[in-house]
This record gives sequence, structure tokens and C-alpha cells, in this order.
Amino acid sequence: MRRGPVTRILGEHPVGTAFVTPYVVFVAAVFAYPLGFAVYMSFHDYFFAAPGAIVDRPWVGFANYVTVLTDPAVQRSFLNVLIFLVINVPLTVILSLGLSTALNSAIRWRTFFRVSYYVPYVTASVAVVGVWLFLFSSNGLVNSILGPLAPDPSWLVNSKLAMPTVAFYVTWKQLGFFILLYLAALQNVGADLYEAASMDGAGRWQSFLNVTVPGVRPATTLVVLLATVTGANLFTEPYLLTGGGGPDGASASPVLIMYQKGIEQGNPDVGSAIGVLLVIGVLILALLERRFVGRED
Amino acid sequence: MRLRFVALLIGAFVFLFPFYYMLIGSLQAEPDPSVSGSIPTGNVTLHNYSEINKAINLGKSLINSGIFTGGVILGTLIFGVLAGYALARLQFRGRAVVFNLMLLIQVVPFQLLTIPLYVMIVRSYGLADSYLGMILPFAINSTAVFVFRQYFLQLPAELFDAARIDGASELSILWRVAVPLVKPALLTGVLLTFIGPWNEFLWPFLITKQQTLQPLAVSLSNYLTTVSARAANPFGAVLAGACVLAAPAVALFVIFQRRFISSNISSGVKG
Amino acid sequence: MKLQAGLLALVLAGSLAACGDSGGGSGDADAAAKATGPITIWYSNNAEEVAWGKQMVAAWNAAHADQKVTAQEIPTGKSSEEVIGAAITAGNAPCLIFNTSPASVSQFQKQGGLVALDSFSDGKSYIEDRSGDVAQQYKSSDGKYYQLPWKSNPVEIFYNKKAFAKAGIDTTNPPLKTYDEFLATSRKLVAAKAAKVAIYPAPSNEFYQSWFDFYPLYAAESGGKQLVEDGKSTFASDEGKRVATFWRTMYADKLASQEKYTGDAFVDGTAAMAVVGPWAIASYKGKVDWGVVPVPTSSGKPANEIHTFSDAKNVAMYSSCKNRGTAWDVLKFATSQEQDGKFLETTGQMPLRKDVATVFADYFTKNPDYKTFADQAARTVEVPNVPNSITIWQTFRDAYSKSVIFGQQDPGEALDGAAQKIDQLVKQS
Repeated sequence: MRRGPVTRILGEHPVGTAFVTPYVVFVAAVFAYPLGFAVYMSFHDYFFAAPGAIVDRPWVGFANYVTVLTDPAVQRSFLNVLIFLVINVPLTVILSLGLSTALNSAIRWRTFFRVSYYVPYVTASVAVVGVWLFLFSSNGLVNSILGPLAPDPSWLVNSKLAMPTVAFYVTWKQLGFFILLYLAALQNVGADLYEAASMDGAGRWQSFLNVTVPGVRPATTLVVLLATVTGANLFTEPYLLTGGGGPDGASASPVLIMYQKGIEQGNPDVGSAIGVLLVIGVLILALLERRFVGRED
Repeated sequence: MRLRFVALLIGAFVFLFPFYYMLIGSLQAEPDPSVSGSIPTGNVTLHNYSEINKAINLGKSLINSGIFTGGVILGTLIFGVLAGYALARLQFRGRAVVFNLMLLIQVVPFQLLTIPLYVMIVRSYGLADSYLGMILPFAINSTAVFVFRQYFLQLPAELFDAARIDGASELSILWRVAVPLVKPALLTGVLLTFIGPWNEFLWPFLITKQQTLQPLAVSLSNYLTTVSARAANPFGAVLAGACVLAAPAVALFVIFQRRFISSNISSGVKG
Repeated sequence: MKLQAGLLALVLAGSLAACGDSGGGSGDADAAAKATGPITIWYSNNAEEVAWGKQMVAAWNAAHADQKVTAQEIPTGKSSEEVIGAAITAGNAPCLIFNTSPASVSQFQKQGGLVALDSFSDGKSYIEDRSGDVAQQYKSSDGKYYQLPWKSNPVEIFYNKKAFAKAGIDTTNPPLKTYDEFLATSRKLVAAKAAKVAIYPAPSNEFYQSWFDFYPLYAAESGGKQLVEDGKSTFASDEGKRVATFWRTMYADKLASQEKYTGDAFVDGTAAMAVVGPWAIASYKGKVDWGVVPVPTSSGKPANEIHTFSDAKNVAMYSSCKNRGTAWDVLKFATSQEQDGKFLETTGQMPLRKDVATVFADYFTKNPDYKTFADQAARTVEVPNVPNSITIWQTFRDAYSKSVIFGQQDPGEALDGAAQKIDQLVKQS
């Protein structure tokens, strides 16, 4: 293939630059400034002021980061996110892959099943939470079924169980989305591969392990990554389910604290420090996941 | 086969029950939080729906939600597919940077950006109280770009090599070869892009003060926090609104999920 | 790594952009103080307040066609603070907001978002004439008024007469004066299954929830002290600890619930009592047969000595306002005796006006239910107007939640710890 000067500078397919330009322009216009501004704020003693107001905003280096890292409430919130991820991510992968495989095959009432698993994803948390609270309250349905096994204090007011309960709620609610992802990926696992496997004498479970799972590897990477990102940025669910932090901050999430400090209390500098730390943490997690879980091709 | 069906049925019940309860709750004349209340026997009325329609104009709110969400889906389908394809199958300078940028965008929580974004859109771009101002921060959904990229990657390289050897331009390769093969992915992209703006409360709430512009999620939230206490069955009225909010999304899915047909890719690579 | 390069590029781009931001002066303040012309106002979306607001605006516009007022609703609740804060930063806040929470005033002031009403020649005198002594609580730390005390909802104890009757408790003079009486009554209610819990203050962690459990009782017990006075916290005293211990007992004996409740527990009959102000009466109509008593104190003070939380909402003028002359005139019009009277009739909430009970005697003769609130309105305690007010309340709430609601720490210790932190916060500015 000839490599003229254009391709040498712009790569083999220079039209690719044209394809991504609208996206990059969008990102620059909408994200670059606020994100850079947030990073800027985290290094200053900053608060928002009316236009034209003269205020002092000195550079404070890492002071905000130190404040944040030594705050026990913030430390607890990062721990909460880890608890959440440890429960939510594996559960999500297993359940969504299993369910989507089942939903992909020709079974009766397929539409009904697909819709029923998708429905929680689509309903606004604001409405569904009321039902969930009712189910898990101290004399709710779940506890009446469990009888003497019911935990005391009850689920959402128990500092050890609060975050896991939130994790189950979110897993349940988001599952429809991940089932969708896997459903689409399953379409691309060729039928001939299954035929070959069954000709080799593989049973259903074996063909699942040896054909399906490797075949949807890129989707698995996607699912793991997205579940991690959504989990780390959790805000609405802990807030709605446990009213802003739960028993002794046991279900507070970093974004919740960021919102409280940054917007409610008027300290966007500290809020941004939390945000930047969160982003860095998630990026590290994402890198680790890419290394261990998936390759793209 | 029988076992799998039963297991799925139990699972479906678990998944559907809260939604079912929501539906029943929205039809109750008097709030009945007991277990027996979950079986509708009498105590059924459409009053909650008319109640919430009185407080919020359901029709106008739904239209606003539609415009907001439609704009986002349009932007994502046009520009997001282009970007996803380029990231997956085209070699160009800066590809890695754009890919990492896209990852970074998804990782950043929206709450971190809210106020500076608001100031920028309102002051610098002058887009307060407008649909464009609502749509802009969400215009191209980065998660969708990621998803498109993943699915374009799953297509076998031979397809593209063959088309390029035939001398087709990249745009026509995209349009004629790749897109038809990833229809499930495109639908997935649409469905996942749909939910964000459809249920988004905070941003439209900040951007619009005029109630005629507010999408349903915002009106519902406002109703929940303030006016609902006056209704005969406040919880029921809220659930009625929530059912109205969920219905189009569910309907959309029911229609589209049939299109997740397996396309036989290997047939394209013969020869 | 490419990732780092991308990140670095973003940071640089952003920093450069940020350095060149916010120019734009706000114009001459003195000229603005005299300027007249059209203005915008916001009010809350509470149905009755909207009704009053619309007629007020219509009345003004009819008389002043060249100084038209455009009104919009903003939702109440904590998100209204975010909307106002964002509007201040963006420079598009309206001239007047009839839903300014006193707790946010110090923050908005720090942002440079508020206009000192003292800058008008009759500013200070108008406020102090209208509201009397109570106005002093609304001064900011520089001695000026950045808010006009508008209306209050003195918090009292509502009780469900039917539930009380079921438990065999006197419904005209229920024993709710002292802590011991209150606890005993609560126990009777729960034991007789008249309600699931005796009373259901929200157990969630938002910074403002303490205004409806701890603060009203503390105001009563301490004879009218604010949470912070003269730069020091006051609540880690014996009085504050008595209040905290009282609530701890309520939670420990399951007379109040630690779990979040969706909806209104008092209306649903889940709770037999509620701590709330007269605005709620409209939502109880036809659903609950209610009675009302002042909040309890440990020793049973007589009703005319009991203080409570004011739950006031005020009006502030925002610095993005160009036609401040008009704004001030509209403000005076909206808080005139006539408009205050209309407000009282439409909403049942108490205008923060001196001698409300006598000035509007007619209304109270027709609506005796509200009279107790009018009397109570003379003895209300506001949130302290100090820097970092919201952080202070959040710190307090965290300590209260951990110790009183969830019982994971001794309340006395928790209050001491919170007091130390809060003393630090007040010193900053």
C-alpha cells in the first residue's frame, strides 16, 4: 500500500479524523472547560461568586486533598463504594450473562420475559424506591417472610447491611441494561460454532463455557467497565434509599459527599478534590480490569 | 427446558413485582400499604391519574421529554456511530487520545461539572430556558460511543479488507457493510441513550425555569416534593406519574426487542 | 502512556480557559438602588403561596404598568438552594426570591449575591418597624439586613385525636407538657396500637432535618437560645443534652422510627403526632382530626413561655437586580399590612409582623385553630446567621444521627464533639 505524506502524518485512514471531529468538538465544548475548571478549583480556596464580585481565591496546593483524605466520612464513603463494587460487579456479570443466554434461546413467552427483566431499568428510581422501602422496612414483606432470621436493626438502618442492600437494589435495577448488552453481543456468536461444539459432544453447560463466554468477551469487558463506573459514581440510590448517608455514613457514596460539600455547603474546592480523587480511583480500577478481565479483539 | 422456564418465571416475578406494585398503587383510591392490598379487589380508580394531570400537564411534559430525549438520540446516532466506527476500525493519528478521552468522560461524575457547566451554558452560550441548553451536555452519549466501538470490533476484519480492496470509500463501507451487521448494537445504543435524558431530573431543572419547558421527570419530582400532599392519595398520584413516565420506555423496548435477530455474519465472509 | 497525555492535555486546556474567566462588572450600585423598571421575582410552588403571589403581582402590575413584575415558581426543598446558587453564579438570579432560606443567607452573601437592604434609606427602619424585636435574629454578622423576615411557621406538636381516643388519652388536654408525660403518652399510643409509632420526625441525614426534632425542643428548653450565639455553640449544655437524651429514649423505645418513610406519616395514620407548622393544616383537612399543643419541655413550662423553631422563609434582593428601586418598592408592597393579611388568609402561615394576633384579630376570630400559632409566633428562634451555616447544621446532624437516632455513641459525647467542630467553623468566614 502506498503511504503518501498525508497518510504518514494522519495515519492510514485519515478520514477517521473527520469521523471523530464532531465528537471531539462536542467534548471540548461541553466537558473540557468544566472538567479543567473542577481540577483548577481543587487546588485553590475556591467558592462560586456572583459575576463582578471581588473575592480572594488563593492557591492552596494540595490542602484540599489533604482535608479530604483525612476526613473519616470521606474514607468511609470510598470504602462503601468498594463494598458496593465487590457485590455488584460479579453479580451483574453472572446474572446478566446467564439471563441473556436464557432469553436468547427460543422459549415460550420470550417477549414477556425480556420485558420483565428490562422494566426496572426503565422506571425512575424516585418511584421504585418507595416500593423497595416498603418491602425492606422493619415490618415489611421481606422480614415477615424471613421471620426470626430477619436482621435487627433492619436492612437499611443496619450499618453493616445498608450498603449491601443498596448494592442489591442497584444490581436489580440495572440488570436490564446489561442484559441488553449481552443480548446484542450474543447475536454475533455464530451458530456454526455451537454446531461444531455439539458435534464434538459438548453438553449445554460446556458449550456455554467454551463457546458463549469467550465469544462475548468484548461485551464482558464492557459490562465490567460500565458497572464499575456507574457504581463508583452512585448518587441517587443511596440518597433515596437511606436519606443521605444512612446509619453513621454507612451508605454514603463519594458523589453524595461531593454534592453536600460542593453544592449544599458552598465548598466546591473540597468537592472537586473528592471528584478528582474519585476519577483517578476509577481510572486505576478500569486499567486493572482491562488487564485482567478483557482484551478487545 | 421445563426447569429453565420455571427459573425464568420466578426471576421475572422478582423483577416485575415492584413494578406491578407500582401499577396497583397508582390505581388505588385509598393508600393500602398492606400485603393484601397488592391484589386489586375493588379500591380501583383512575382518579390518581387525573389528579396528577391536574397538577402537571402530562401531555406537554411528555412532549418536552420527547424533544429532549429525541435530540440526544439523534446526536448520538449520527455522530456517535461515526466516532465509534472510527475508533474501532480506522487507523488515524490521535485515535488513542480520543479513545482515552471517551473513557475519561464516562468516568467523571456529572455532579462534579454541574455548576461550571451551568455557568458556561447560560453565560457564554446564552442557552438558558431552551431545548438546546437542555440537550447540549448530553448531545453525544459517550457510553453509546463505547458500545458502538465494541460491536464494530466484533466484526471480522476480513469483511472490511474485502470492501477496501474493492475500492469502497470508508463512509460507504460504514453505511453499507458495517451498520447493517450491528443493528442490535445500534438498537442497544438507542435504548441505553434513551433512558438517561428521559429520567434526567437535575439538569433540565436547573436550565429551565419556565414550567412549559420542563420534561416529565422534572415535573414529577417537583410534584413529589411539594404539591403531592394535597392529593387524596398522594403516594398513588406519584405512582401514577411514575407509570406514565415509564410507559413509553417500556413500549419502546417491547417494539424494538423483536429486532434483536441473529444475523449470520459468517455468510458475509465466504469466498 | 497515552492516557496520561490525554489527561494532561485536558487539565492544561481547562486551566488556561479558567484563568481567563469571569470579567464583567455589575454596574454602579448606587444608580441601581434608585433605578426603576420591570423586574422578575421567584416564589415557591406551594399551591397557596402561588395563589397569593399571583394576586399580589396582578395588583402591583395593575397600578404600575411601567414597572411590570414577572413571576416564576421554583420548587421548594433543598434543590432550591442549588438553583439559587447556580443562578447567582451565572448572574441570572431574579430581583426578589420569596423563598430564601435564612440558613443560606450567609452563603449567598459570601458569594456577593445579595443586596444589603440597609442601602435603601428606609431599609432598616422598615424591617424593624414591621417585625419588631424578632428582626434582630435576621441581621448578618456585619450588622446589616441581607434578608427581609417574611413569614414563619412556628413549629408545634400536632396530635391525631382519633388515635388518642383509641388509646384512651384525653383529646382536649392531652398530657404532653413534660418529657415524662410525653414519653408516657407515647408508650400508651404504641401499646394500644393506635399508631405504629408515636411521632415520626424524618430520621434522614439532610442538614435541615434537625430543625424539626432537636431544634424546636432546644429552643423551648433553653428559653430561646440559638444553636450558636456570640460565636460559640450553645447546645452542648445541660439543656441541649436533656433534649438529646429525650429523643434518644424515643428512638430506643421504638416510639419513633429510624427508617425513612415515604409520604406523610401523620396523614397516613402511621404516626399519632407530628412536629410541624401551620402550613401543613391545609394537607390535613378532611384527613386527620387534629389538635395542637406547644413542644414539650423537661419541666413543663407554661405555654406562654415556650419558644420554638420559626421555620421562616424570607425575601432577599439579589445583586444581579438592575432595577433595585422598583424591587424595594415591590417588596414593601408585598409585605404591607394589606398584603400580609391576604397572605395570612390564603396560606394560614404567619407573616413575621409584630403583634400578628392583634393586627389580624378578625382572621383569628374566624379561624381559632390558627390562633395558637399567632401567639407562638412572638416567641420563635431562628437558625443562627453565621458563616458556614449549612456545614454547621450538617456537622450537627451527623453527630445527632449517629448518637441519638442510631444509638452508636453517647449523645452527650456526640454533642460535645460537634460543639468543638462547630466552634471552629464559626470562626472561619
